Amino acid sequence: MSDSPGTTGLEVDEAGLRTLFDEQDYVAEDDIVTTVLLSLRLGKPLLVEGEPGSGKTELGKVLADGLDTELVRLQCYEGLSAENTLYEWNYTKQLLAVQAGDRGVADEDASVFDEDYLLERPLLRALTHDGPRPPVLLIDEVDRADEEFEALLLEVLSDFQVSIPELGTVAASQPPIVVITSNRTRGLSDALKRRCLFLHIEPPSMAKERAIVREKVPELDGAVAAAVTGAVQRLREEPLLKQPGVAETLDWARAIAALRHDGEDALTETEVRNTLGCLLKEVEDVQRVDDALLSELLDSAERARAQG
Amino acid sequence: MHVEGEDGDPPDFVEAREHVLETILSFERALRTAGASVPATAGIDAARALVEVGFDDRERVRAALRAVLISQEADIVAFERLFPPFWRRFAEGLDAQGSTDNVQDAVDRFGIPSASPPEPEEGDEPQLTEDEEADGAEVAATDRTVTFSAETEATPGGEDETTAIYSPSGRSERVSMGRAMLRESGDLEAAMRSLTAALASLQGRRWGREGDERVDVRRALRGSFGTGGTVVSVPTHAKKRSAVSATLLVDVSQSVLDTIDRGFLIDFLRRAVEEWRTVRVFFFDTAVREVTDAFRTRTPLEALDALEAAEAAWGGGTQIGQAIETVKREHPDAVDRNTTAVVISDGLEVGEIELLERGMSWLSAQSAAVLWCNPLAASPEYEPTCRGMAAAMPYVNGLFAFTGPDDVAEMARQLTQRGTAGPIGYEHDGRGRA
Repeated sequence: MSDSPGTTGLEVDEAGLRTLFDEQDYVAEDDIVTTVLLSLRLGKPLLVEGEPGSGKTELGKVLADGLDTELVRLQCYEGLSAENTLYEWNYTKQLLAVQAGDRGVADEDASVFDEDYLLERPLLRALTHDGPRPPVLLIDEVDRADEEFEALLLEVLSDFQVSIPELGTVAASQPPIVVITSNRTRGLSDALKRRCLFLHIEPPSMAKERAIVREKVPELDGAVAAAVTGAVQRLREEPLLKQPGVAETLDWARAIAALRHDGEDALTETEVRNTLGCLLKEVEDVQRVDDALLSELLDSAERARAQG
Repeated sequence: MHVEGEDGDPPDFVEAREHVLETILSFERALRTAGASVPATAGIDAARALVEVGFDDRERVRAALRAVLISQEADIVAFERLFPPFWRRFAEGLDAQGSTDNVQDAVDRFGIPSASPPEPEEGDEPQLTEDEEADGAEVAATDRTVTFSAETEATPGGEDETTAIYSPSGRSERVSMGRAMLRESGDLEAAMRSLTAALASLQGRRWGREGDERVDVRRALRGSFGTGGTVVSVPTHAKKRSAVSATLLVDVSQSVLDTIDRGFLIDFLRRAVEEWRTVRVFFFDTAVREVTDAFRTRTPLEALDALEAAEAAWGGGTQIGQAIETVKREHPDAVDRNTTAVVISDGLEVGEIELLERGMSWLSAQSAAVLWCNPLAASPEYEPTCRGMAAAMPYVNGLFAFTGPDDVAEMARQLTQRGTAGPIGYEHDGRGRA
């Protein structure tokens, strides 16, 4: 079994990758650029971990959009089986064909077990993709799936081929670019981790978060964007049950942009209180924001606004 | 590792390549020695990755090696600690184009102390050598023989409960206290009822948050006897509500006795013994003694009398690690996988930290959950930064304040809502802590 089943065949250099991320408004630090570049060049799946809302799934989407190729997404959940991920036979169609007398089960020339009757699921679709560029296979939240699925994934990722007993082996003509995300609700097997490059997306620094908000919510005034990130950074210092991620910051920024008429004013107490639901998703966290904390949030926002 | 085309390459190039390979392997081994889980093929992948990103840019090399050598977040700290010495050696070797040290020697140069927590300051300075470490240990040992000043936990604001001077080897005294301090509290009764209900319904290790939907074949088979072998209904595994099984390790060192309401402590323990099904209570300071029987009484006053009659002692120094070790050795049946271990202590350990870590690791592995009740955690400024508490925290499911019935009620509330696996502890206190 080879650990390096082949490169993706893409001619991408570091500058090109940075341009790709810039064009897609994805703020990527050097670590992310280097690791993604390695993944493309070495043809190894990329295992991305990080806090919820840190942009793991977005990375897969951005790569597909930026490379102008198909995104094949597999959302994992408990009980995910081979039928949901690889292929299924279209039994209804097979039955109708047999009843109509066109095809038989044992007839080799006209069997109902050929590609016409095959329903491709995400993993197989990624392998049989025949576009000019390899597709991006995004296996999202792999930690939600069972260990049995992980074993199946190992087989697929090792050689990028699948054996269908009735049909034979289907091998990828060009290996897909694989991005696997995990929220670490359980540990993944060493075998899977060994086959992947590991990328841990750190919670963003204030400067990075400000840049993300500016890119993604251009309708919000720059100074207000700085104030928003300043307030969120202060809020993260609290021991919250559910810390707001970048996705929540963006939701909040969009909410503020949608509600305000004059773009340049400082954040107000009412504005923050009314939109807090975009940031905090637990009742106890919302209750924690009392007048004292609210005033501290506004102070932090004002400081960031002045600096920003 | 096989090196291709060695014969045809210029000597300097061969030497540089050997240096790169050797340094990578050393780094890989250093990471493993530090406790990181490095994939078996990481060395080959690291070499490939460096060929792709080049050798001259420090940050690029760091990102590439991190991607291939690290496979879990927990190992990132070790990587970041060991990378600077690796890089210095890597870059120096490439400049000089030569290195004659063997791999083991190279690992030694990284100066891996052990799989211990990282040093607080990170920088390009190499870690302590073994000799330096030994010196440090010696200094610590010397410290322990003199009077120990309690570490200040709640530094900002300077809480007065942490400023007393305690002797680690101080002599225990017979349990005694003013009778007036003993009272039965209605609040505590209600709080204990909630805590009992919360602990009784905790999910065991086998049970996920959503329960277990697997079919209970045995029950289905038994049920089918009554219907002539036909399975009428298919029962699934269901979690049974169980009675509380707990072991209470109570720190009765002077530092704890000075901060806790002794009447509350005795009443709490008495009610625990009364209400919970399987309970064992151990007092410890510098020694450990089981005092469960003394709490099998109807009132706190009787409990105090029983403690006095049993000549139980308290008020020595805090040696938590030693205490757990003693429980492990002398009462191995006190903790099993159904038992919730409750440690009541301020965490101001004066014994060996390694012993404490080992003990907590055992306690955590053996028990259903470890709850730590700390009277100091009631302070809004509290942070578990003293060395004993810092060493114990990774093995603790939840650290709670413990000064009165309100704290017990809060602990019960959090356990009921989120179980032992959820975000629980003093930092999630729902009573408006800042």
